[in-house]
Amino acid sequence: MSGATTTMTGAVGAGHASGEPGRLLAWLSPAVAVFAFLALWELLNRAFEVPVWLLPKPTDFLARLAIDFPMILGHAWATSRTIALGFLLGVLVSVPLALLIVSIGALERGLYPVIVFLNIMPKTIIGPILLVWFGLGPLMAVMVVFLMSFFPILVDSMSGFRAIDPRLAYITRSMGASEWQAFRYIRLPAAMPHIFAGMKIGIVKAVEGVVIAEFIASNEGLGFMIMRASSFMDMTLLFSGLIAAALVALIFNGLLLATERILMPWARHHHQ
Amino acid sequence: MNDAMRPRPVQGTTTAGVPGASISARGITKLYGSGDGAHHALGPIDLDIAPGEFVSLIGPSGCGKSTTMLLVSGLEPVTDGELDVDGRPLTAPISDVGIVFQDHLLLEFRTALKNVMLQQEIRGLDRSLLQKRATRLFKELGLEGAENRYPWQLSGGMRQRVSIARALVHDPSMLLMDEPFGALDAITRTQIRHDLEMLWLETRKTVLFITHSIEEAIGLSDRVLVMSNGPGKLVDEISIDLPRPRPAHLGAYPEFARYARRIYDIFEKLGIYHFK
Repeated sequence: MSGATTTMTGAVGAGHASGEPGRLLAWLSPAVAVFAFLALWELLNRAFEVPVWLLPKPTDFLARLAIDFPMILGHAWATSRTIALGFLLGVLVSVPLALLIVSIGALERGLYPVIVFLNIMPKTIIGPILLVWFGLGPLMAVMVVFLMSFFPILVDSMSGFRAIDPRLAYITRSMGASEWQAFRYIRLPAAMPHIFAGMKIGIVKAVEGVVIAEFIASNEGLGFMIMRASSFMDMTLLFSGLIAAALVALIFNGLLLATERILMPWARHHHQ
Repeated sequence: MNDAMRPRPVQGTTTAGVPGASISARGITKLYGSGDGAHHALGPIDLDIAPGEFVSLIGPSGCGKSTTMLLVSGLEPVTDGELDVDGRPLTAPISDVGIVFQDHLLLEFRTALKNVMLQQEIRGLDRSLLQKRATRLFKELGLEGAENRYPWQLSGGMRQRVSIARALVHDPSMLLMDEPFGALDAITRTQIRHDLEMLWLETRKTVLFITHSIEEAIGLSDRVLVMSNGPGKLVDEISIDLPRPRPAHLGAYPEFARYARRIYDIFEKLGIYHFK
């Protein structure tokens, strides 16, 4: 079948800058950029003799990060726990709910405007209400994380579950697939990229939410530490806290990417 | 086309398989929706397809060809009329069927082979048997080496071939194809048409093949049914008397010209073509 084989050679997968040099460069360029940025910051601070209570130098807050590492780590760990709990809860509730809503037309039509509204509304403004309901402490922060991550995951999961071609449904029906089989073999894997897209947004919002929640309602965590540093005008600690929060976000994002790679091996080289 | 070029079945696997199903329809009609807003998509039409027959349905867009296919497979219920498959009235979607659409509709997250093996997973069929059949189909369809590739790594023609393999791996008695080669370039189309015929000749399943292409219809079928504009009715039926396997260049046969001429004339009469 010479005709068939010639078409195959022209079709090999999407090109990507693979191999070790490409990967190394991908890590190196941002690292160099960050370093250059910090170096510039340091230089300008020193040149203009900016006081530490206004804007600390990178050497100041990085040194503080090293000195108070155990304490900062403790708070970072508390914050991470809160994020993990709230986010997990968000995923466990929103994904099945998304499937349910998409499966029942009336439900979707009725709930959709509500979902859109709640998605747009800043969840942090209901912080005070949550404070009343859940009191001071990490539970309130967990609830904030839950609310912040719930909606992006719900919306993207819904679009993922909706995205099945109706003619594919004909084919699976002709196979005699049950609802469960259609979900397990087709709908869920097809929705995964969408669910992960929602999760990536959700985790960013979760980190935003947790820090703000910890500002007002907690006695542990990076938000609490930052707030306390602010009240004492401890700028180096404050900045250390911000860096730590950013690193926590980075780590969670990395965990998500790693999970994505494990669950969706086919997506690795495919630029969708 | 001589015997030496014809592909041989792989040793140790059976080619006989399940015989083709027969289809018999009387006055079948399809209305989508109800009341005043109802869309009369098809019919009434009568249809008789004998076991193992390769029948093409040709007609303009929107005439109800695809609807016919959905009715015959039981995936859409008839609004009116009687429909029997293998002598029994059709009440639910048939599972003993293979379906190929114009879009390959392969799962992007499964390799080519795993896409085909989906039939085994969902139907709960014997794994080693279907694996053997899948491997053989891949060979016959020129897909060797593509087993572990993902759809996005394959060309359009190869994706359709995988789609065809998926429709055949469970050895259905009926194959339904809705403009399966419509999205392919002309060269690929001719090749895959030939490959399909070769495959079909081994097992002689009943095939209902929907197409816009007169050449494809005549090139593949035992009979061509011509449908009018929507709501579609069958306006002509042409028995194709050409040797099998059909040559790629049908122009060498005067009968081809006659059949094609007949179809073009109908289309012109129906107002599908306007030639000055």
